[in-house]
Amino acid sequence: MAPRLSPAEALERALVERRILVACGSGGVGKTTTAAALAVRAARSGRRVLVCTIDPSRRLATSLGLNQLSGRPRPIDLSRLAPYPARGGALWAMVLDVKSTFDALVARYTPDAAARARILENRFYRHVSAALAGTHEYMAMEKLLELRADERWDLVVLDTPPTRHALDFLDAPDRLLGFLDTSVLRWFLRPYFVAGRLTLKVATRTGAVALRLADRFLGLQFLQDLSEFFLAFESMYDGFKERATRVHALLRDGSSGFVMVAGPQPLALEEALYFHRRLAEKGMPFVAFVVNRVHLDPARERRARRGVRPALPPGLAARLAETLREQQVLARVERRAVARLEVDTRERPVLVPELEQDVHDLRGLAEFGDLVFGGARARSRPARAAVGR
Amino acid sequence: MLLDALLSRRLVVLTGKGGVGKSVVGAAIALAACERRRRVLLVEIKAPVAAAALFAGPGPARREPGPAGREAEVRPGLYTLNLDPAAVMDEYVRRVVKLEILARRVLESPVYHRFFAAAPGLKELMTLGKIMVLEEARARFSHRPLWDLIVLDAPATGHGLQFLKVPLAASAAVPVGPIGHNARRVLALLRDPAKTALVLVAVPEEMAVVEAVQFHRLAAEDMDMRPAAVVLNACHERRFSDDEEAEVLRLTAEGADGTLEPDVPLSAALRAARRQIRRRKLTRFYEARLRRNVDAPLVSLPFLFREALSLDDVRLLAGLLEAA
Repeated sequence: MAPRLSPAEALERALVERRILVACGSGGVGKTTTAAALAVRAARSGRRVLVCTIDPSRRLATSLGLNQLSGRPRPIDLSRLAPYPARGGALWAMVLDVKSTFDALVARYTPDAAARARILENRFYRHVSAALAGTHEYMAMEKLLELRADERWDLVVLDTPPTRHALDFLDAPDRLLGFLDTSVLRWFLRPYFVAGRLTLKVATRTGAVALRLADRFLGLQFLQDLSEFFLAFESMYDGFKERATRVHALLRDGSSGFVMVAGPQPLALEEALYFHRRLAEKGMPFVAFVVNRVHLDPARERRARRGVRPALPPGLAARLAETLREQQVLARVERRAVARLEVDTRERPVLVPELEQDVHDLRGLAEFGDLVFGGARARSRPARAAVGR
Repeated sequence: MLLDALLSRRLVVLTGKGGVGKSVVGAAIALAACERRRRVLLVEIKAPVAAAALFAGPGPARREPGPAGREAEVRPGLYTLNLDPAAVMDEYVRRVVKLEILARRVLESPVYHRFFAAAPGLKELMTLGKIMVLEEARARFSHRPLWDLIVLDAPATGHGLQFLKVPLAASAAVPVGPIGHNARRVLALLRDPAKTALVLVAVPEEMAVVEAVQFHRLAAEDMDMRPAAVVLNACHERRFSDDEEAEVLRLTAEGADGTLEPDVPLSAALRAARRQIRRRKLTRFYEARLRRNVDAPLVSLPFLFREALSLDDVRLLAGLLEAA
């Protein structure tokens, strides 16, 4: 049996070998930064990489030191990485434009220009399609198919939307398809459209109640917009479904992988554990946990040297001891939570210590990568390490 | 001062990036209001850890969500409500379809579930609609408002603004009919500065602050809403004087060691101190940036080094809010 790789080595290997890496995690755990740092790392090792973020607050742009990113992939100048070495790779970045991806999808699957216009101009589509629960996630996956097929990149790193629960990303497409399923239409919306006026001639009594309820709640105009949208969509549904099946197959493929990003707090790690289990259930390839902003115990970082303590000004000794105790509490809580995750998943997470500075430029991302993979490539590490010292 | 401003409204909406401690800040505001003898309702939306758990007493917060959809009195005059949008929707269906048998049939139908799971903004609209209903609720005899103050812990930003924008989108998409009508009423409540206070919560970190500033701008542009206050949570306060900070650096450069107390090496304590100083400086830096970019009073709350937060911590923060 081959010796088991360290977590950082497993992640590094994925950066070299896989074609798709999806960074998952709930909001506020440094997911976007991690995705960008992984992309920078892979580009530095010589691969042609695209990092795609979905975040509406455009955090990736900040991380990449750009004022704004657009819906189209843009090359990032790797010479700005200096003094960090890069070996001939290329880095591109983009922000997923949900609306235009949806528009493109409509264009692809509508049979003719009239059908296309019917959807694109539908009031429901215009105002709320981008807000449909799961649209962001669905469009992200849809975009993956397109990007994966593009010859310009060896690796696509996908940052996922900031959801309360990381799992939403996996479930959302199914939910959206469930919503768009024509059976919903058959069930209670179509009679509306066909008659062009309020009619309760539907197949079942429950259908009639649902219809009446919908009218009372949503109003006739909305229902008409909605049923028009559904009718126009009917011809596309099979195409949609077929695409969704392909995305799922792609994500289950061995050339893809999921990187679960989490914070070190007990609750965040409990969620990571749950996600790990769900990934396994869905047969999707797990690559690594990345736990960000880990607070190290200052007393464990270096073995204390014995010596004679110099005299300290009054009060300072007590305040120093208190400061140390506080940070040890934090470190202890996190250490226990990480240990639980290890026991439950049999995976050792990659731990990234809290950084000296926030990451908001390319160099910061490279430094972040060195922290993650530090041991593996100690030589490329600059003298000024970022670990909290 | 801050508390006076918040207590003069009917609704406090807390918003901020995930993980900045909105729930705890919400609990502290609710507790501070309660101590001023207000009848307060603290509302969370499908919270994994209900705020109610913070009020449960000593010990770590429980993971189970509170009883969904029901107000729980966690201390005299302070109620918590963990809203489940799906339950709110069901409640609405029951109200509209008065016949229980029919209502149940709708609620049990798979189509209803599929529709509700993905219908755009429906959850958000129902939730905000429920908040509006709570705001309008009056006591039976006195006709005084049932709640003096409602504190809403809104979803994280990114999603936070989307959440607040739903009524705007709904009234544009459905100009006529009951949904549009209700959406406009919700919008009016949110936009009324005499009734609603928007409170931005951030922590002294680049992304959280960038997002708070961005939220502030977009909320004004898109929603015509301006924050009543910014709460900067998890701040590191000054602990060492300038001279002491210099001393810490000097000792570090010298490689000083030995023990401070039994089993407390000086070198580790110096490392901890440098970290504390760095975080304290970052706190200052971001405080200044928020002051420059957000036109609202700023309140800083301390980082709490705890195994788990307890009621005492909420009390501590409430006291600081009261003093702010």
